[in-house]
Amino acid sequence: MSEQPFQIAVPDDALALLKRKLDDARFPDEVDEAAWDYGAPLADIKRLVNRWKDGYDWRTHESKFNKLPMFTRDIDVEGFGTLNVHYVHQKSAVEGAIPLLFVHGWPGSFIEVTKILPLLTAGGPDQPSFHVIAPSLPGYAWSSPALKRGFRGKQYAELFNKLMISLGYKEYVTQGGDWGYYVRLCSLFESSCTHGRDQITRMLAAHHGPQNVKASHTNFPRADEPTFWASPVQYIKHNILPYTALERQGLARRQQFIASGRGYYLEHATRPQTIGYNLSDSPVGMLAWIYEKLVAWTDSYPWTDDEILTWISIYWFSRAGPAASVRIYYEIGGSGESMNLPRATIPYGVSYFPKEIASAPKAFMRGEFNVVFESEHTSGGHFAAFENPQGLVDDLRKMFGKKGPAAGVVPGHSGF
Amino acid sequence: MPEETPFKIAVPDDALSLLQRKLADTRLPDEVEGAGWDYGTPLSDIKRLVDRWRGGYDWHAHERELNQHLPMFTRDIEVDGFGVLNMHYVHKKSKVAGAVPVLFVHGWPGSFIEVSKILPLLTAGGAGHPSFHVVAPSLPGFGWSEAAHKPGFRGTHYAELFNKLMLSLGYSEYVTQGGDWGHVITRILASQYGPKHVKASHTNMPICSTDIFGTFRNNPLRFAKYLLTPYTPREREGMARSRMFQKTGMGYFAQQSTRPQTLGYNLGDSPVGLLAWIYEKIGPGTDNYPWTDDEVLTWISIYWFSRAGPSASTRIYYELSKSEEVFRTPRTSVPVGISFFPKEVFHAPRELLRAELNVVFESEHDAGGHFAAYEKPEALVDDLRRMFGRGGPAAGVVPGHSGF
Repeated sequence: MSEQPFQIAVPDDALALLKRKLDDARFPDEVDEAAWDYGAPLADIKRLVNRWKDGYDWRTHESKFNKLPMFTRDIDVEGFGTLNVHYVHQKSAVEGAIPLLFVHGWPGSFIEVTKILPLLTAGGPDQPSFHVIAPSLPGYAWSSPALKRGFRGKQYAELFNKLMISLGYKEYVTQGGDWGYYVRLCSLFESSCTHGRDQITRMLAAHHGPQNVKASHTNFPRADEPTFWASPVQYIKHNILPYTALERQGLARRQQFIASGRGYYLEHATRPQTIGYNLSDSPVGMLAWIYEKLVAWTDSYPWTDDEILTWISIYWFSRAGPAASVRIYYEIGGSGESMNLPRATIPYGVSYFPKEIASAPKAFMRGEFNVVFESEHTSGGHFAAFENPQGLVDDLRKMFGKKGPAAGVVPGHSGF
Repeated sequence: MPEETPFKIAVPDDALSLLQRKLADTRLPDEVEGAGWDYGTPLSDIKRLVDRWRGGYDWHAHERELNQHLPMFTRDIEVDGFGVLNMHYVHKKSKVAGAVPVLFVHGWPGSFIEVSKILPLLTAGGAGHPSFHVVAPSLPGFGWSEAAHKPGFRGTHYAELFNKLMLSLGYSEYVTQGGDWGHVITRILASQYGPKHVKASHTNMPICSTDIFGTFRNNPLRFAKYLLTPYTPREREGMARSRMFQKTGMGYFAQQSTRPQTLGYNLGDSPVGLLAWIYEKIGPGTDNYPWTDDEVLTWISIYWFSRAGPSASTRIYYELSKSEEVFRTPRTSVPVGISFFPKEVFHAPRELLRAELNVVFESEHDAGGHFAAYEKPEALVDDLRRMFGRGGPAAGVVPGHSGF
């Protein structure tokens, strides 16, 4: 089936508008010695804005992206008409490579696949190879947005399943470190909230596994505490065995997130349009909104200013504008649809990175999923594919390689 | 009377032209079909308001009006640990020398403008009703008041600041009126400086402390009454409104109380962003108040042109959430008057309030919302006159200042 190649070509007037806005940037004050306590520090934002105005060259980064095999494709979603999906698609030279759908989240993008792409598609006698498909979520980068209400997990699953099938991959695996949140929408004053299972790869597994989705890997371990009724063994183990140090760290990070790190989430999930006016109109504001998370959620990743600005520019220059990207929180976060999903039976792989926002303890994941592979890392955070590409790829190779727990899960596509 | 430094708002021309440049380059988002108010401030409202702001809305005319009708001043006040803060305030004395001194404290996203309609009514003399001397400051970081520059400016500091302001104006004994942050701050004021300085408090947005156990311990009989008394239909309605607001309308609170600076870059740089952020609250926050576009734009312009910039105004959420003062509002024996307006979004059960505070006056209204002084000035003033007037439950509470 023929693909429609795609090249990013941000118009000159968009660049000129950005420059005008940056020139007229109006900065807030800051309390003495605020550091990161109140949000992104003023000195950082000023420095980044100055670089963005002067020195940062979008066209260089645009050309680099254009060397990636990018395409667009029309996909119909029931009740939503046709969405035009922007995606990266790189086939391995190995014909029997494992088709892998890589799903990014917020505030990420297709850029998150760029480091793992050459590693995954590389062939070798001892490591499995992958065909990689990395779409931009609707309303992100150059994918068109959903403009009707109610575009939820089921619709994302339908969209991406159809995308894979249209590319000739009826059976495939997924990797997501992912959109979705551990703590579901709940009242600000509730300290214990019902947890959701809102990841897109989770939705895919539930709706299209095991027929199409044969296995799933995640670096964002989210699950509820095991209950006796649903998973008695895990429940008992959980109550007897102590948490590991890493698990305690994960729980502590989760608490911190609930206490002070989820303002953005509650705003996105209740009033995406209101914050949307800010993000669309102010490059400084949008920069700060995203930059705060790029730093908070990574494990001392040595971001260069230009890397930050490229991540941010993808949002700024995106086809639908930055506001569209936060609607997913409202649609899925507020919907409650994930509460009634059937349990996924397909094999699951989990990679634990220490600076992930809120990792669930192993027992939680084992209680909720058919976990066949686990891996613990000593470095890396939320954006694992970008921060620790080798670590993540090693995990995928172990999970799907010869004698791996998910070896040969896609018939005819063993990776060799 | 100690000397006052008169103040007139005078936004410089370059600030006005910067605003116009930004408005001309406004980049609006898309919107899902049929969004209404569900996703946030509607696009059609924002488009209309931005168009008006760009052409037609005359800030200078509104600036002149504020300068003409509101006697404004500034004054340096020192706060322990924070140095000197230059405070902007409205101060109007009644012709009646024995008028009751009242400190009016606004909240977010309000401002000193909220006193403008009740000001002439409160200060008016009259045989039948008491008169008031009115002091209405801008909170630090709001309007033309300087913002606190150090972290940790808590409720106790607001109380110190405002008590010192009143004392500096010659009012060593006074009463207070407040809603929104005004309620929290006047409550802390009463607890810290009452009954010595703060003799009585009135509020249109009462909230209950989360320290329920403390309320029980303090007033077990009244607390038992609260547990045993069924809610009235009005209360049930109010609770439902409150729950809905907590579920869907607290995004701003969550952000402002945890990462105000990050939000602040947006509010300070984007006029349309600031407009949407505030209009989301003042549009639906009233009881069908017939906002004109120019009124809305004036409310927003006060934030846009404020001395400290819009970002500074959000820090109160961070500081008072961190200190928990916004949740664990203190008990006080100072007499309290409450006006209940039906469309208020923060609800408090009547019996629990009575168990928590020394409630001497209550008034239930059939109309009015969160911005009571602006939406229902006559009704609010009427309540204050009844509370403090002859035969009222707080009559003569300020010695020598009966209001007559």
